[in-house]
Amino acid sequence: MKRWCVLASAIACLVLLPTSARSRVFGQEQRGTPDISGFWELSFDSRNVPRANLLPTITRAKLDVRAKKDAYAIRWCNLLGVPFIMDPGRPLDIRQGSTAIIIVPENSSPPRYLYTNRSAHITEEIFDPSTNGDSIGHWEGDTLVADTVGFHGDHGITAIPGGGYRTEKSHLVERYRLLKDGSILSVTFTWSDPTVFRTPHSYEFRYQRLPATYEPRQWLSCDPYDEDRAKFLESTPLPPKPAARAVSKE
Amino acid sequence: MRLRVALLVTSLLPFAATPVAHGQSSKVRLEGDWVRIDPDGVGSFGGLSGVIPPAQLLPGVSAGGRGDGRGRGGRGAPPNSGSGPNAEGVPYIVVAQPCAGGGPGRSNGALLVNPDSGGVHFIEHKDEVIFAGERGGVRHIYIDGRSHPNVWTPTAAGHSVGRYEGSTLVVETTGFSPGMVPGGGVRTAETRLLERFEMSPDGNRLTVTYTWDDPKVYQKPHVYRYYFERAPAIESKGMKVSYALEEWCDAGDPIEKQSIVPPKQIIK
Repeated sequence: MKRWCVLASAIACLVLLPTSARSRVFGQEQRGTPDISGFWELSFDSRNVPRANLLPTITRAKLDVRAKKDAYAIRWCNLLGVPFIMDPGRPLDIRQGSTAIIIVPENSSPPRYLYTNRSAHITEEIFDPSTNGDSIGHWEGDTLVADTVGFHGDHGITAIPGGGYRTEKSHLVERYRLLKDGSILSVTFTWSDPTVFRTPHSYEFRYQRLPATYEPRQWLSCDPYDEDRAKFLESTPLPPKPAARAVSKE
Repeated sequence: MRLRVALLVTSLLPFAATPVAHGQSSKVRLEGDWVRIDPDGVGSFGGLSGVIPPAQLLPGVSAGGRGDGRGRGGRGAPPNSGSGPNAEGVPYIVVAQPCAGGGPGRSNGALLVNPDSGGVHFIEHKDEVIFAGERGGVRHIYIDGRSHPNVWTPTAAGHSVGRYEGSTLVVETTGFSPGMVPGGGVRTAETRLLERFEMSPDGNRLTVTYTWDDPKVYQKPHVYRYYFERAPAIESKGMKVSYALEEWCDAGDPIEKQSIVPPKQIIK
């Protein structure tokens, strides 16, 4: 009798297994890695962003030019790109597939694809620089490491949290890690760019998991021909010019 | 005995790990990059609409037009400004409001309910399938067993829930905002769309069958199909790869409005 109990228990375990096994065929859990899929949002205390250590050549004038370009991108509903869409003011939908991890913002900007099915970037001769760049990801234990190059130097919002901006020479390394039983997603961003940063610039966002029943708003519209919107945006003055020391004399 | 039970359990584990719940084959997957093709030989992207059978509308229902107004063209081209051709070096203004349509230039056929010729991409997760287009639009297809919400603000893409039947993804969408449907159909908040994303056995061809149904609009369900192939892989650093492209369209750039600049004419 005892034998049959053991056997019955074992079979019961197998019957229950498909629930978790479902995920194995869909995503990275197939290889025993965490599943960072879910709806994630930033809160008021989710950002740890130190000031970037910029090169002396990054002057206030250069930053102002960049700020104007970013304002233009918003005004004309351009694609926004990285790093902006990692902090877009709305939750992100992250889904881990078998070939890539997709990060979908709710605003009208294309999603990011972190490709996990290849270990090298697309060659520069082929890849057209883009606002999101070319991202590849791999797992180091419980941490997803995403490496991105191939950024466009002008398109979209190029401002980087903490100071500086992305260029075609920018290189971004992100480390994604679940904390607190999966209720928090920590992402550490490290930017390096020999034309912008004196030293690599790192900051961390901690996203809070939303209920699985959350439903994203769909592709929030942006109308570049809305005159009222245009007037509103174009009347926004640039931030006052700070002291030079605050920006370029770190 | 315990050893035997352990061996039995171990031997059964691979079967337990098979995707029973969704029936999703591990060999044929929707995930990846696709491009719409023209197997009927229509010859032009606009012409693809021509092979869609006309919707059988109820009397009194206005047809939605043959096309769907999608694409890069934006909101209407201005009337021809003059008579005769433009002078050399003077471009034609062919689009009044380029990059318009719900996003940074594109909404891609009602957010991919009617995908256009741009590349499209699927990511499959156990709870949700993401369907994203290079020319804009992202659809969230929930496969976690949820039903359509009781309270929903209608959108161009509606609310989609799906399930797998073998390797076919079956998606039901409701909650549309009013709009047009290919083949002269229309959609309303009560319209129901059933899509079957069906792959060929080799996983290289995707057939999407659209069935629009609305007893207040159609005499009978409006059915048509689109066909896709895997995006061509390119060679990069010894790998065959495909990836999502990014289509740039800047509404603030005047050149987006114009045709090519007429080249210098050489008359011999």
